[in-house]
Amino acid sequence: MSAATESAPIFEAEALMGIATDLFETMVDGEPGHLTLWWGEPPELEDSRFTWVDIQGQPATRVLLAASRETGEQLTRALLALPEGSAVGDEDFADAVGEVANVVGGNIKSMVPDGGALTLPSVAHAAPDAPGAIAIIDTYLSWRGAPLHVSLWALP
Amino acid sequence: MKALVIDDSRVMRRIVTGILRGVGFDTVEAGDGKEALERLTEHPDVALCCIDWNMPVMTGFEFVVEARKRQEWRDITLMMVTTEGEQGQIVRALAAGAHEYVIKPFTPEIIVDKLELLGLVGARA
Ligand SMILES: [Mg+2]
Repeated sequence: MSAATESAPIFEAEALMGIATDLFETMVDGEPGHLTLWWGEPPELEDSRFTWVDIQGQPATRVLLAASRETGEQLTRALLALPEGSAVGDEDFADAVGEVANVVGGNIKSMVPDGGALTLPSVAHAAPDAPGAIAIIDTYLSWRGAPLHVSLWALP
Repeated sequence: MKALVIDDSRVMRRIVTGILRGVGFDTVEAGDGKEALERLTEHPDVALCCIDWNMPVMTGFEFVVEARKRQEWRDITLMMVTTEGEQGQIVRALAAGAHEYVIKPFTPEIIVDKLELLGLVGARA
């Protein structure tokens, strides 16, 4: 086993699922049962949006979430307690999904050996360029039947 | 009683504000630590600050350090409400003068329990 492998964060999908479950139960849904693992083929995300935070530790790690704009809007409505179907502006959208990335990232940071600083969340129409990044976790969750792509990357 | 809710996320400010209003607080808001220092100057009757850590311009930690330098603010209760959950970060914030620490995500009950502990709201039956 190489030194690089030994110093890599020991982080498993279950821990990530635990963080996401806590977040959705307490702050998004207010009740358990709406977030599960995605079973079956990886789904296509329509009109996708991306949000991420970096944990600038050793090694640097990125938490990247992706969902359709529609799912992101649902998430924003849930967090802001807005009525079903109400319009969601870009500012509220970026604020809400960015904060989801911030909460997941912050909780992951507290689990990795050398956490370092957490960046402010970014929100974009495309995933950030990350040449040489290695996927540690790459999974889909289902929130109220809609896919959420959750990935954790070791940055070079 | 008046509370200052400090978080760069408006979503998070609305959530915390809603909980505090539910137990009788008046609230004012700030989007970063620097803005929070300005709000405190404008609102000398603030009794509680709920403080996010990770914010642009001035972090919640820097805000705590600055606020603690001011004699006139020494009676204000400072409660961190943040994703920064490592033991080291908690110890740092408490050493700098924060009184309580809540890690996101949280339920309204967690916040209200902390406020009871701090003697800022009456204990529920
Ligand atoms: Mg923040």
